[in-house]
Amino acid sequence: MLPYITEHQVAHQVKITKMAQTVFLLMAGGQIESAEFPEFDDIYCKYCFTYGSDWLITSGLEEGITQITKKSKDDRQEFVWNFPLDITFKSTNPHGWPQLVIHCYGIDVFGQDVVRGYGMCHVPITPGRHKRKVPMFVPESASALQKFTAWFLGRRPEFVDPKVVAQGEGREVTRVRSQGFVTVSFNVVSKDMKKLGYDVIPSEVSTTVVPDNVGMAKGQTEA
Amino acid sequence: MAEVHVIGQLVGASGFPEHSLFCKWGIHIGGAWKVLSGLREGQTQVDNPQNQEAAYWSHPIDLHLATKGLQGWPKIHFQVWHQDSFGRNELYGYGFCHLPTSPGIHDIDCPTWRPAGEFREQVSQHFLGGGPQLKNPDLIYSGADRYRLHTVAMGKVHLQLGVVLRNFDRYGIEC
Repeated sequence: MLPYITEHQVAHQVKITKMAQTVFLLMAGGQIESAEFPEFDDIYCKYCFTYGSDWLITSGLEEGITQITKKSKDDRQEFVWNFPLDITFKSTNPHGWPQLVIHCYGIDVFGQDVVRGYGMCHVPITPGRHKRKVPMFVPESASALQKFTAWFLGRRPEFVDPKVVAQGEGREVTRVRSQGFVTVSFNVVSKDMKKLGYDVIPSEVSTTVVPDNVGMAKGQTEA
Repeated sequence: MAEVHVIGQLVGASGFPEHSLFCKWGIHIGGAWKVLSGLREGQTQVDNPQNQEAAYWSHPIDLHLATKGLQGWPKIHFQVWHQDSFGRNELYGYGFCHLPTSPGIHDIDCPTWRPAGEFREQVSQHFLGGGPQLKNPDLIYSGADRYRLHTVAMGKVHLQLGVVLRNFDRYGIEC
C-alpha cells in the first residue's frame, strides 16, 4: 500500500464526508402493544411504514404481521400483541417523515378475514419514549344497496392499498366509522439532525449560545 | 432562509352536538413565508364513530415552509362540518390556531365557534337546521371585523403537531 494518499483519493474522501454531512438517521424501536375493539374477538394486525422519496430504510423490517389474539378475560377486555418494531431510516430532508400504518383484521363466524380498522401515526419527531393511541376506522359502504350486500355476504368494504390512510389527498370522498384503538409505543433516537441545523426540541433560551456574526452590521468583521 | 417543518395530524374533534363530522383545513402564512412542499389545504374523511364520544380523522399533515422573516407566523384554520344520513352538510364550527413556535411535539385543542345569527335565524335553525355561514372566510383567522359577529361556542378540534425548525439559531432567533 502507498504510504500517502493521492489527490484523487483526497477528493473522494472529501466527497464522502460532505455526503455524510447531509444525511441524518432516525432509529425507532418500540412495540405494537395492545388494542381495544369492544365489539370483536380474534384480531391480528399488519403494519407497514410509508415515507417520502428522500427517505431510505437502512435496517429493519418495513412491514409485518402479528399473531392472532383474543380479548383478555378480565374487565379490561384488551387485546395484547406485544409485537416488536425496530427500524432505522436515513434521509436528507424531514419532509416525508415516516408514518406507521396499521390495519387490523378479525375472523368472523364463517372463518373469513374481515377488516376491523385502519389507522396511522407519524413516527415521533423528538428523541425519547412516546406512546400513541391510534384510532382505528373502517370505510363505510357508499350506498344502501352496497350496505345490504356487505351485510348479506359478510364482506365489508376495504381499502385496496392500506397506505391511502397515510395520504392527505382524496380523503374527502371517504366515509368511515371509527371503532377501536391500537396502542403503540416508540423509542426514538436521531443522529446528526442538529448538525444539519434542525431543531426538534426547544433550545435553552436562557443560556443560549449566540454565533459571533449575529447582530453585526453587513460587511462588518470582527476586530 | 430559515425553514420550518410541520409534521403531524388532525386527530379529530369532540364536544360537538352530533358526530359524523369532517373538517376542511388550510394554512395561512404571511408574505415572507413560502411553502416548499406539502399540501397547504385539505379536507378530511367523514367519521361516524361507533361510540359517540369523539370523531377521529387521523388526517396527516406534512409541510415544509421557508421564511425570510418572523411576521406572519403560520396559522392553521378549520371549518368543521356535520354530514347527516342523507349526505347534507351543515356548518358546525370555525377555528384557528397558531403553529407552535417552539420545536417539538405539541398536542393542541382548538376551540371552535359558529355564527349565531339573529333571533329569527336561531329559531329557524333549531327546527330546520342550516344556519348562517361566513361570507368571507378570512374572518376565521383575522381579528379585524370580528366585532360585528354574534357567535356561539361549539366543540374542540384536536391536533398533534410536530415542529422542526432549521437554521433559526443561525439568525439569532430564540425559539
